[in-house]
Amino acid sequence: MPDNVAYFHAAYAATIALLIGYAVSIVVRRRRVAQRRAQRATAGGRGA
Amino acid sequence: MTPAPTGSAPAPTAPTARTGIDWVAVVAALVTVAAFVRAIWFTPPDLLQGYAQKIMYVHVPTIWVAFLALGLSALAGAFWLFLKDPRLDRFAESSAEVGVVFTTGVLITGPIWAKPIWGAWWVWDARLTLTLVLWFLFLGYLVLRGAIDDRELRARYSAVVGLLGALLIPFVHLSVYIFRTQHPMPVVANPEGIQMPAVMQVTFFFSLFAFTLMYVAFVRARMALATDRDALEDASTAER
Repeated sequence: MPDNVAYFHAAYAATIALLIGYAVSIVVRRRRVAQRRAQRATAGGRGA
Repeated sequence: MTPAPTGSAPAPTAPTARTGIDWVAVVAALVTVAAFVRAIWFTPPDLLQGYAQKIMYVHVPTIWVAFLALGLSALAGAFWLFLKDPRLDRFAESSAEVGVVFTTGVLITGPIWAKPIWGAWWVWDARLTLTLVLWFLFLGYLVLRGAIDDRELRARYSAVVGLLGALLIPFVHLSVYIFRTQHPMPVVANPEGIQMPAVMQVTFFFSLFAFTLMYVAFVRARMALATDRDALEDASTAER
């Protein structure tokens, strides 16, 4: 059997990093939108 | 009953309700972890390819999700052209982005498998080249979406680009039959039946299920982001 376990580890690590990275990117972007919404609500409240 | 206003602007988008834990995402993550554990520790390596063969348990489900995501994105875009429902456009956008992420995964795991098996990271064979073209097409789709501010114009242009891009999907899948390629023939979607021992089949289908759940979780989360963003834009426009 060929010894290529390092490639197997690399592929799984890359897939996990990609999935986690994308999940984090969605969470960060949602938080940013929520912050902007909160800022708008605060500014609107002050203006009223 | 209040009559609906005629000839007015479309109703503003309502932001999504924040309900705390997204259980679909939690289940998808747990099932994916279980699929990884089974593939890594409870599935034997292939006698000829060694441990590199196990890359198939992430590589094939990844391309399955990429095809599913990009295909559904194109379908949602096509429906938008007739129905003009903004939810369809948000789904098309979300599914396309998830599809691009998974196509990126395919383009990363494929060469990692190819190096020990073929002796080269990349060859310009039909399957690999068409997958790269598909990735560029949908990357262009996302760039196009980012470049157009008008929501209706953006939905219309991206629906057309998405439809044209998705036409490539059957060619990517059939490329191993149409052309003489270095890429292996399908082991599951093979006309002669599944070319895999039972223990590997269980791991493979479990992984396929896990990645499909991941797709559902990602699209739900991404759609919630698109809905909140549109709601914010609508509120800002209404203020001006």
